[in-house]
Amino acid sequence: MDVKDKIKYIFSYKIAGKLLIELNTKKAFKNFKPPKNWRTDILAPPLRTGVYTKEIIAKHYLEGRYVSGVKPVAWVTSGAPIEILKALGFYILYPENHGALCGARKVALEISEEAEKKGYSIDICSYARTDIGATLSKKTPVGKLPKPDLLLCCTNICQTVLYWYRVLAEYYKVPLIVIDTPFVYDEAKKHDIEYVKKQLEASIEVSEKVAGKSLSFSKLKEVVRLSKMAAELWLEIMNANKNKPAPISVFDQFIHMAPIVEKRGDPETVDFYSKMLDEIRERIKNGIGAVKNERKRVLWDNLPIWYKIRFLSEFLAENGVSVVASTYTNAWGELAPMMDIERPIESMAKTYVYPILNRGTGHKLKTMETMVKEFDLDGAILHSDRSCKPYSVGQMDQRLKLLNELGVAALLLEADHNDPRAFADEQIKSRLKAFMEMMD
Amino acid sequence: MLHVKIPTRKEVIEEEKSKGKRIAAVYPIHYSRELFRAFNIQPVEVWGPPKTDTRKANAHLQSYICSVVQSGLSFYLEGYLDIVDLIVVPHSCDSLQGLGSIFKDFIKPKQELVTIYLPREKNKENVEFLANELKRIYKQLSQLCGFEPDNERLMEEIKTEEEIDTLVLKFYKSRGNLPLSSREFYTILRSREYLPPDKFKSILEYALLHASKGKLKKTGIVLSGLLPEPMDILDVIDDMDAFVAIDDMACCMRRVYEEGNSSDPFERMAERIVNGPPDPTKGNSFDERFEFIKSLVDLTSAKGVIFYNVKFCEPEYFYHPILKEKLGKAQIRSLIIENDINEPLPQQTITRIKAFIEMIRELS
Ligand code: SF4
Ligand code: SF4
Repeated sequence: MDVKDKIKYIFSYKIAGKLLIELNTKKAFKNFKPPKNWRTDILAPPLRTGVYTKEIIAKHYLEGRYVSGVKPVAWVTSGAPIEILKALGFYILYPENHGALCGARKVALEISEEAEKKGYSIDICSYARTDIGATLSKKTPVGKLPKPDLLLCCTNICQTVLYWYRVLAEYYKVPLIVIDTPFVYDEAKKHDIEYVKKQLEASIEVSEKVAGKSLSFSKLKEVVRLSKMAAELWLEIMNANKNKPAPISVFDQFIHMAPIVEKRGDPETVDFYSKMLDEIRERIKNGIGAVKNERKRVLWDNLPIWYKIRFLSEFLAENGVSVVASTYTNAWGELAPMMDIERPIESMAKTYVYPILNRGTGHKLKTMETMVKEFDLDGAILHSDRSCKPYSVGQMDQRLKLLNELGVAALLLEADHNDPRAFADEQIKSRLKAFMEMMD
Repeated sequence: MLHVKIPTRKEVIEEEKSKGKRIAAVYPIHYSRELFRAFNIQPVEVWGPPKTDTRKANAHLQSYICSVVQSGLSFYLEGYLDIVDLIVVPHSCDSLQGLGSIFKDFIKPKQELVTIYLPREKNKENVEFLANELKRIYKQLSQLCGFEPDNERLMEEIKTEEEIDTLVLKFYKSRGNLPLSSREFYTILRSREYLPPDKFKSILEYALLHASKGKLKKTGIVLSGLLPEPMDILDVIDDMDAFVAIDDMACCMRRVYEEGNSSDPFERMAERIVNGPPDPTKGNSFDERFEFIKSLVDLTSAKGVIFYNVKFCEPEYFYHPILKEKLGKAQIRSLIIENDINEPLPQQTITRIKAFIEMIRELS
């Protein structure tokens, strides 16, 4: 470890940076009020505990600026089993989350174009394009991203990540761990789980080598425990929307899910979500709904459209439509019960095979059907995301089943989660209008 | 030109059926032909087919799914696969994964559906996994067919496939001495997608008899990608007094597997696929892919590489920029073009291919 790096890290992040961020949070919490242009006529104010989301994310990226040479850095896919790396003290960066942040801050296109200029096709996943663009150009809205010492790619969300991480491995010349998770058409087979378990076990040695220390199993158990706790809280937060009116919208969940993705396994994340849950319970007690005049309740399928969250949230709320459940945000909570703290590797092998994206199209339909019943929904918006084939294939059949068998209005909304070129405001508005008419 | 008649898929299906064999329609890319053959099942591969009317698939698949999957599904929905007994969908990419899943959950074909998960890395754990996956399929096929071929029978089929792979390599190596157009060469080679092994073998042996001593005095090209469809691309290359000297294509060279080592048939079949030529869908490293393509160039003294991509094929897209750069550093020129297998080659693509061949000829 370089002493200069360490001093810089301690001063700029641990002392000054963190302090400044925490002071800002305190101030923001105390003087909490909705942003200036917030549509208070149709929406409840944002969650007050949301100031901590900003704090967690700000700290995370600030640490990233100074962490190189102090902690080992791993770049990982969003569904990757990070518990081992966490227990080894890695700083973990999620390129997909960074991509989402670029999308929400409306700089994803400019960054993606850097990749396109180098020959990366416009038809590859826009997260990958954003990340490769950021890698090639060093452009990022967070100042600077730390270079990885290790890459961890898990195919439980798609195969795309495998090729994408190959590109990263080629560029950064660092080891790449691939955890290949067989696709579950109905139930995972014994040899599927065994295969993943073996890969997880093999990954320990590589990770230890990069970290320069051995894995402590008690630390691993602690990380798994915290990870599970945070995921359970997240699940409770989402389930709170079974109440009418729903206390937070899925658009809020999209914003506040960052810690469950990139900071699970940390005690602060558990504290954060329990505070948030308290605030949500308070809202329920006071009958506050995310959408002031909740007339219709719908579900969102697939990734968010990061650069249009506000637009969609307001347009739907204006018409009394609250988006209350989502297969996407649910993915970070639904597997929590499968984690077994006493058998971390075995349970990780099982848990990481079962994310919704690694399961069949019929399973996704079942998940949506359950949501329709449990959340008492009137409709479903299926974002047909041209960037994300694994999530989108099957939606046409799923939509018809929802429509014909459950009798709920269902809309296929063509767009892209991070590429604004695939979004036409007026066209989307008229599609949504027609959808809302179907629900009336 | 060789005067050899290659039966069509339809003729093969009818003939094999009349002999009491079952037919499996197999989607791309990797699977063990030998496993199916041991159950008297004749695999007939479905690579599209090109120029299919994909309207029927549009009810199930979005427009940003590649034409191989669109056509493959439409072909089924149009009833062309009604005659087959099994449908096999290997897990080659996200889109084929989706196709397998749609079949299972929504279309529910009357035929037996077999899915195969293919491990992504090249190591012994993956061989073990794939061997187990093949054992699972073995059980499924035993239930369907009502018998269990023994190890000896499996080994017999494996050996046959290994022999054919050796012969195919010989065919490739003789390419420069064969009086065949690129279209003829690939028509012969790709008949392996549906011919029984003895028939395919005799066609290859016959073709090899016509190898001459003199080499073709044309500009050799390495064609990389999924499949040479529409086949007009081969004619465009030949029209420029060039020819496809060898390929790095999923339907052809990427499935010419080495002999396995294991005496256990399942492990041996798995070894063959896992250790086979690099393939983007298997997630091989850039170095592996570069070295492989370079070895093809060296072997054939080809003058350039054409990456011929199916539109929306993500596995291929990711590799292009870095492979092109690596090849460039090794003084190997390359061109990237893409097309939909259902569309005729656009004039602009033809012009680019022609300009590329002219350029590499001038530079050599
Ligand atoms: S293809 Fe889909 S699952 Fe894969 S990285 Fe892109 S958005 Fe995520
Ligand atoms: S062309 Fe590409 S995307 Fe399409 S089935 Fe083949 S490998 Fe998959």
